[in-house]
Amino acid sequence: MASEQGPPGVRIRGLTVVYRTPAGELPAVSGVDLDLAPGTITGVVGESGSGKSTLALSLLNAVQPPGRIAAGSVEIDGLGDVVALGGEGLRRARGRHVGYVFQAAQNSLNPLKTVGKQVLDLGRSHGVEDMRGLLADARGLLGRMGLDGARVLDSYQHELSGGMRQRVGIMLALVLNARLVVLDEPTTALDMITQATILRIVREVHAERGLTTLVITHDLGVVAEVADRLAVMYGGRVVEHGPTRDVLAGPRHPYTRGLLGAIPRLVGDIGEARALPGRPPTLADVPADGCVFRDRCPLRMDVCETGSPPVVTRGSRSAACHAVRDDEGDRRAVAATTGEDQA
Amino acid sequence: MIGGTGITKTFRQRGGVLGAREVPALRGVDFAIPKGGAVSFIGESGCGKTTLGRIIAGLETCDAGEIVIDGVAMSSLSHRRRQPYFRRVQLVHQDPYSALNPTRTIHQALAAPLALRARQTGRPRAWADERAGELLGMVGLDPGYVLPRYPHQLSGGMRQRVVIARALTVDPEVLVADEAVSMIDVSLRLGILALLKDLRERLGVSVLFITHDVATARYIGTDGELYVIYRGQVVERGPVETVISAPVHPYTQALLSAIPVLHGLESPGEQRVVPVEASGDHPSDDTSGHPGGHPSDHAGGCLFAPRCPFRTERCERERPVLGHDGDTPQRHACFHPERRSVVAVPVSRR
Repeated sequence: MASEQGPPGVRIRGLTVVYRTPAGELPAVSGVDLDLAPGTITGVVGESGSGKSTLALSLLNAVQPPGRIAAGSVEIDGLGDVVALGGEGLRRARGRHVGYVFQAAQNSLNPLKTVGKQVLDLGRSHGVEDMRGLLADARGLLGRMGLDGARVLDSYQHELSGGMRQRVGIMLALVLNARLVVLDEPTTALDMITQATILRIVREVHAERGLTTLVITHDLGVVAEVADRLAVMYGGRVVEHGPTRDVLAGPRHPYTRGLLGAIPRLVGDIGEARALPGRPPTLADVPADGCVFRDRCPLRMDVCETGSPPVVTRGSRSAACHAVRDDEGDRRAVAATTGEDQA
Repeated sequence: MIGGTGITKTFRQRGGVLGAREVPALRGVDFAIPKGGAVSFIGESGCGKTTLGRIIAGLETCDAGEIVIDGVAMSSLSHRRRQPYFRRVQLVHQDPYSALNPTRTIHQALAAPLALRARQTGRPRAWADERAGELLGMVGLDPGYVLPRYPHQLSGGMRQRVVIARALTVDPEVLVADEAVSMIDVSLRLGILALLKDLRERLGVSVLFITHDVATARYIGTDGELYVIYRGQVVERGPVETVISAPVHPYTQALLSAIPVLHGLESPGEQRVVPVEASGDHPSDDTSGHPGGHPSDHAGGCLFAPRCPFRTERCERERPVLGHDGDTPQRHACFHPERRSVVAVPVSRR
């Protein structure tokens, strides 16, 4: 079960990850600073191409070629800077210190082996001596998540439903007692009711085992349900960060406002909701200078073309936008987004 | 106008350690899609909503029941005579990435069906090119930009618009959109939904919207009708806004309760319904993956009873049928219908 020391904190500083393409090395993540406070759940929200999955992989120093971490550091308590780790040290860190639940965990299991065999493989590759104990832990975790542990360990992937496979993915990430857990799109492809169950489990397991958790998703609703803090990514940058409820109640960055306004809701005037104009940038067309969001932004100004937006921090919140530098800017932002035309 | 009565479909699974078994996908479903109307089928994966959409599009047959298009019963026609009827129903797939041939430009993708259409209607070939541009304009794309390009050069949202434009080449009366926005970036989803709504209004085309995300169903038209499907049975049906704001079936309530609450902007509904976890929740009787093989199939009780927090002894014995209840506008299949406020309420803005 959980070890004595507290959950680890994570400090990401100046992280830049580039991918080699025919057009040269292009940044998927550009100079990201982000702290994960010990014991918190942070949700990173972004659309395709925002760099959120690349950021998550960087926590394991697992960015695959043609990508590479070009600059910056990822300091994890008890482990040091994972960007500097390599070889055996890095391999041991994955699983033992950082548990990773992959995107589509439903499809990331070995179809030829029972879940139990995969737990044993995991134990062997990490030099676990007490295999019985490991299996007991796995059974316990599955039981905690509402499954018949013994039966699931004897099952093959195809015998499990999507929601059950997702729980197996979470079990595999936690069974070696990792205290930092990364969940990449934990509920994509799951039904609403199953999603609600998985999110409840994530919250409960997080609290019971004393974890630091990072959830990567395209769905603001998922973050709203589980995360204490919300980081919004766009074009490889964190454009807004703060306590989830505060950001949702009063988003400062025009992209966060736009995204919130674009979510289909169950109540309220459907005429108020509208899609953002344009489309998210791809690796090839992220602007090198100025603000990455300016092409879709209702508040675009001259300065956005060239000047990189300053990160304005107020209390526990921050936003990177020229238009939210002062309170007056906040009011302008509200007026402009609500009167925005549909594209 | 397209409708169906008593649509029933059973899949037979062969092989496996358990041997052959029957999986009921649809159990006597009645539906009607009025001209220019919006109808949404909602439910979890495996509930039969996609199978029903495919039957309506003529891509699958039913074991029992009847599909009627413009007053003509499809079972009375030969396979060949049925085709012109089903051509009026066009399917828009979930995945705009695999729905277009990657080796053909958008121009080529639209030219083939339009050339056929030109021949059928005795129009000159030049009409096809003109029409391709017109259709792309209709779905909000710039023909000059899109026509010469290959699918991989377009974003997911643009591709889905191309798929819709292609469906429109044959002048359909019904568009069947099966999870048509689930693979589109969040910031662009409303654009596709608004387009479907717009096509209803401008062309009078009906939209059959199939989704597991109830909230999106409102955006193709608040005048639409919602069908909530659970394990092959319609358990609640009614005007979309009524079913969302005043659901009476516990399953509808569970679905609506499961939608994430944007804490800070909304507060959760006061009577959220959490379904009982599928009995034991082990592989062979997990209800979300395998709709069949459930004990209640044999007992003949309510299909939702094993997961229903309000079930009574009657629910385990008898299966409720879809019907009206007093003067409420919706129909439901429940012995103990009760309104509950399960949907999140917006927090008033400061």
